[in-house]
Amino acid sequence: MILNDFFIFMKQELMLLFIIFLLLLIKVGKDRSNESLLYLINLLLLINVIAGFILPGEGSLFSDMFRTNPLIALEKNMLNIGTLIISMQSYSWLKSHKHLLEFYILMISTLLGMFYMISSGNLLMFYLGLELSSIPLAALVNFDLEKKASSEAAMKFILSSAFSSGLLLFGVSLIYGTTGSLAYAEITSHLSTDPLQIFAFVLFLAGFAFKISAVPFHFWTADVYEGAPVAITSYLSVISKGAVLFVFVSVLYTVFKPLADVWYGMLFVLSISTIIIGNLFAIRQDNFKRFLAFSSIAQVGFILVGISGSSSMGTAAVIYFVLIYIFSNLGAFGVVSIVSSLTGKERISDYKSFYKTNPFLSWILTIALFSLAGVPPAAGFFGKFFLLIAGAEKGNYLLISIAALNMIVSFYYYLRIVKSVFMEPNESPIESLTIPLISKVALYICLLGIVILGLWSVVYDYIFTLSPIF
Amino acid sequence: MGASSLIVLAIAGIVFSAGGMMIAKIFVKGTKNPQKGQAYESGIKSTGTTWSQFNVGYYLFALVFLVFDVELVFLYPWAVVVKSVGITALIEIIIFIFILFMGFLYAHKKGALKWI
Amino acid sequence: MEIIKGVPLTSYILLCSMLFSIGVLGVLYRRNALVIFMCIELMLNSVNLLLVAFSRYYSDSNAQVFVFFIMAVAAAEVSVGLAILMMIYRNTKTTDIDALNKLKF
Repeated sequence: MILNDFFIFMKQELMLLFIIFLLLLIKVGKDRSNESLLYLINLLLLINVIAGFILPGEGSLFSDMFRTNPLIALEKNMLNIGTLIISMQSYSWLKSHKHLLEFYILMISTLLGMFYMISSGNLLMFYLGLELSSIPLAALVNFDLEKKASSEAAMKFILSSAFSSGLLLFGVSLIYGTTGSLAYAEITSHLSTDPLQIFAFVLFLAGFAFKISAVPFHFWTADVYEGAPVAITSYLSVISKGAVLFVFVSVLYTVFKPLADVWYGMLFVLSISTIIIGNLFAIRQDNFKRFLAFSSIAQVGFILVGISGSSSMGTAAVIYFVLIYIFSNLGAFGVVSIVSSLTGKERISDYKSFYKTNPFLSWILTIALFSLAGVPPAAGFFGKFFLLIAGAEKGNYLLISIAALNMIVSFYYYLRIVKSVFMEPNESPIESLTIPLISKVALYICLLGIVILGLWSVVYDYIFTLSPIF
Repeated sequence: MGASSLIVLAIAGIVFSAGGMMIAKIFVKGTKNPQKGQAYESGIKSTGTTWSQFNVGYYLFALVFLVFDVELVFLYPWAVVVKSVGITALIEIIIFIFILFMGFLYAHKKGALKWI
Repeated sequence: MEIIKGVPLTSYILLCSMLFSIGVLGVLYRRNALVIFMCIELMLNSVNLLLVAFSRYYSDSNAQVFVFFIMAVAAAEVSVGLAILMMIYRNTKTTDIDALNKLKF
């Protein structure tokens, strides 16, 4: 191993490690005011985003445990951008929080875990990355220290995540037993449709389905999303889920390629049930965070449709959709985050005639919801469109038509909120809020992302040229 | 080496533990009274139930101990290969212990190690 | 060492599957958070045993390293879980997870 390679290939991870250690040292030293720290950390995260785009290398380290290529570097950059936006949006919540530095140390550790997970070339590395990205998250969910709901959500999260990683590990051990190796490349060459291997794969898939909250394994999602602080809810629903989806696509398309016929059937059932249940439950929610939880479950269903097609554009469609999803979901969460931290209101019915008092926030919310629903000019439409085309590759029109019908159902509940924001009267509307500048910038970035990604096809073409052919 | 060393280890273990007990039996002067049969609480007569609430500091100690204790399990496989790998292994273990040390510093700063 | 190899691999797989199933059932049926953590540990330990057995069978030490990592991660998981449990106990004075019913469908 040449030391030079080490610094080029692992630069994004080393950058995050550097930030973590810097924050730890600041913590050990004398106390500082939250505001100056917040500016410093946001600046560091911004540098991290910019540094990520420089010199994407291609190669592997530590006897193929860690590998990287421009596509993986791009995925990591997307997660970096999302984390920066979340950090900027939660400014007003964090400004008065007692444990600011711990919050960032834990959050960046989880991001580091996701990076290791994305560039893993070995099941051991994958498992370590997965755990590093889920254990600190449980502590983060508990970050509203005096609220009972927050610690309750954290308990549910850590129990379900430990249980799911147990299932995943049993699958891993059986895969090791039947193939004799933990490295991805060797596993692929030893896979066949042996019953024990299929059983191992089912356990593996169940572990994954827990993490991305696909439907038979979605029970923890709504509770955890409601109890957690808004910043963490958006982190869970966008960054954490996005990272697991990236790994899911690459593992299914490369490592488990010999089992493609087996997992096609499973994904078919998973995606249909995920879309339908997510939509049906989203209709009757009144808490905004719960509503966004179920809407994110439905979005995962659409992504699974795209994955199941195993077409040449599957990977590109998923990554493109996640990129759009980062901007549109963070736009919606950003508004909820600001309103919740300044007024404490989280119910959808509180948002009636929100437009009269806060026109800027209402427009951001509306555009983000349009993008989530997939109304044509917004980027979300193209994301879903590409996913459905990728899913149609196998010629399974039942799946595509169910997904398309559900897209129409989802219009109903997204636009219901837009209607109540603009039209419905309210005696005690949310008062006019003064938004901190840094959060305003974050909201503008989301808006820009939604608009540009929908109008400018270069981004999709770029992702498509990078992604491997199935 | 091999199986014979295991046998020697087992015998040595038995001799050490049994020997200690034997010596205690021989040399300690035995007195018996009802106070001695009770649960030991620093020689003071024990009061109340044993299910009393402990100070939260004990739990913190236990948690910190649990984490650091298990991390040290990695030193065993390291010790097996350190000779053959050479200087790289030394640098890597120094990095590993440095990371643990940062955690320790943090625990110290938060006052988790302060006796109540 | 010969004795370990003398036991056929099928027995190991059977034993581990049973232990794993007991763990899974415990997680699903028990209502006390501490007991659930113990059951999760049981699941992880059955995985460890299986990995070590396979590793002996293949004469390949990769899986044994994996076992070390699983142990360390399980300890971290449990210590975070216990810390959260302490927070809950402070609020509710119970570790029964049926008390955690504030968030519902």
